Amino acid sequence: MRSAGRHLWLGLAAAPIVGFFALPFLYLIAVSLKTQDDVLDGRFWPTTPSLANWPAAFEAANILGFILNSVIVSLLSGLVTITLALPSAYAVLRLKIGGRWLSDVTLSSYMAPPIVALIPLFFLLKTTGLLDTRAGLVLIYGCANVPVAFWLLMPFLRRMPIEIEQAAAMDGAGPFRTLLQIVVPIIAPGIVATFIIVTVLSYNEFLFASAFTFSDATRTLPVGISLFQGDRLVNFGQMAAASLAGIAPVYLVALFMQRYLVSGLAHGGVK
Amino acid sequence: MTAFTVEALEPGSAAGVAARRHALWARLARLTWIAPVLVALVVTTLYPTIFLLALAFSKSTLGKPFRGFVGVKHFATTLQDPIFLSAIGRSVAYALSTSLLQLALGFLIALLFTSLLKAGRFLMSLVLLPLMTPPVMVGIAWKLIFAPAGGLLNGTLITYNVISEPISFLGHPTLAWLAIGVADLWQWTPFIVILCFAALSTIPESVHEAAMVDGANGWQRFWHITLPLVAAPLSSIYLLKLILSFKLFDLVYILTFGGPGFATTSAGFAIYRRAIEQFDVGRAAAETMIYALVIGLVTLPVVRLHQHFERREL
Repeated sequence: MRSAGRHLWLGLAAAPIVGFFALPFLYLIAVSLKTQDDVLDGRFWPTTPSLANWPAAFEAANILGFILNSVIVSLLSGLVTITLALPSAYAVLRLKIGGRWLSDVTLSSYMAPPIVALIPLFFLLKTTGLLDTRAGLVLIYGCANVPVAFWLLMPFLRRMPIEIEQAAAMDGAGPFRTLLQIVVPIIAPGIVATFIIVTVLSYNEFLFASAFTFSDATRTLPVGISLFQGDRLVNFGQMAAASLAGIAPVYLVALFMQRYLVSGLAHGGVK
Repeated sequence: MTAFTVEALEPGSAAGVAARRHALWARLARLTWIAPVLVALVVTTLYPTIFLLALAFSKSTLGKPFRGFVGVKHFATTLQDPIFLSAIGRSVAYALSTSLLQLALGFLIALLFTSLLKAGRFLMSLVLLPLMTPPVMVGIAWKLIFAPAGGLLNGTLITYNVISEPISFLGHPTLAWLAIGVADLWQWTPFIVILCFAALSTIPESVHEAAMVDGANGWQRFWHITLPLVAAPLSSIYLLKLILSFKLFDLVYILTFGGPGFATTSAGFAIYRRAIEQFDVGRAAAETMIYALVIGLVTLPVVRLHQHFERREL
């Protein structure tokens, strides 16, 4: 009986926390359903809910195009990141190449804020003709997220029983074949988690995207949405609708992949 | 091993050359494994550092970089610029304080979720959502909440007669920082909750049982057992959040654009405007180097603290 009471208290303590974390999301939904007259009345829910903001937002700006750019750039850069990070993480851990030095340098490179790389990367893209292209963003994100992927993959690789790899080596498999055919299938959940996390990081990125893209054909969603702030639209209802449209893809991923995500983040965080 | 075999062979003999070539290939093959990460590091770290250093000593604009050597002029200007120096100060104060607050809050929520067992796991997947939300959208949602005319917060405060006139939260220097802090807390505390939850779940149940048998009450168990056991992970979580806080940019851009005046201009935002709006990349480069140096100096004690806790654990 005492334990049930305690649970009730703990549940009551959790309620405001959940409420706080749900509030901005619910308010975005509410605002997106408000008419222009309702939008700034200080109330939470609209008096007369209307879906009019949604088609209007998609008409006012190329939202679908922005979402498409974001999805393409983030998926491709996620692939680039995993391709770059996985062999190296494996080599550092199992083949003793690079050693502690490489993992230290990789991780400390993540400490500098991205603003440090902004100007040099601008010139790099300009020289290579990749400024204002999706390929340019794929390259930058693909490289920039390598430390994160390296860090997240490491614990999954470390927990992999070495005997399986030794058995594969005895059967004459080279290290690369071992990695591809033995290790990758076993740590697939870790790779999936890492892929989702770096992809979401790219999807959400704003600083580089705002400096390296400046046409509707290349702009990613956060940049497109940030333009709603400017002259094009001051319609809060449409801004909320557009924001929700942009959040939807990541929330869908979070919903279906949450188990991978929580374990990926948790294992990566605590060595 | 390989090098030794090569040395032992007769120099110039056919076998020696072949072995040496073989050893070279083996070394190259080993290097190919880490080459991808090295390329990424060159692109994102080594090249930018060298490029910035060169920019910082040159007369440069975004359109035409490197138009002559100017010595330490940009550094001198930056160090005498009260606006930028206070931006650095604000960034440091913001990072240190919000990280500490979020660590404390995140740890408490993780403790609560741990006690809730099954329900806690469900809540965990719920609080995952803020972390996944694009920061630009986080900014927009909170901007709507804090809006002076008819925003949710003002509306609620007026309805309950707390205030009679709407407050311009984002137009007031201190309140604007608080608004950024709240949005940041909303987005990042869940991450800390997940990490703390994981750290707490590594403590074996038997440790708590043993303490209970010894008659330790809840508070004693927490203070003498739980806390020391998670000190090392907590310090690394603090370090991680500190690093993330120094990257503050998106929320400032969306919520306040650095204003009112320069009140919420963080160092990162100041550098961005200098480079992208004023095209003064030479001076922006010098500012970046100074900011990076300050970050290094501020995080060093935290790194040391973390190492201290890790050593104690061994």
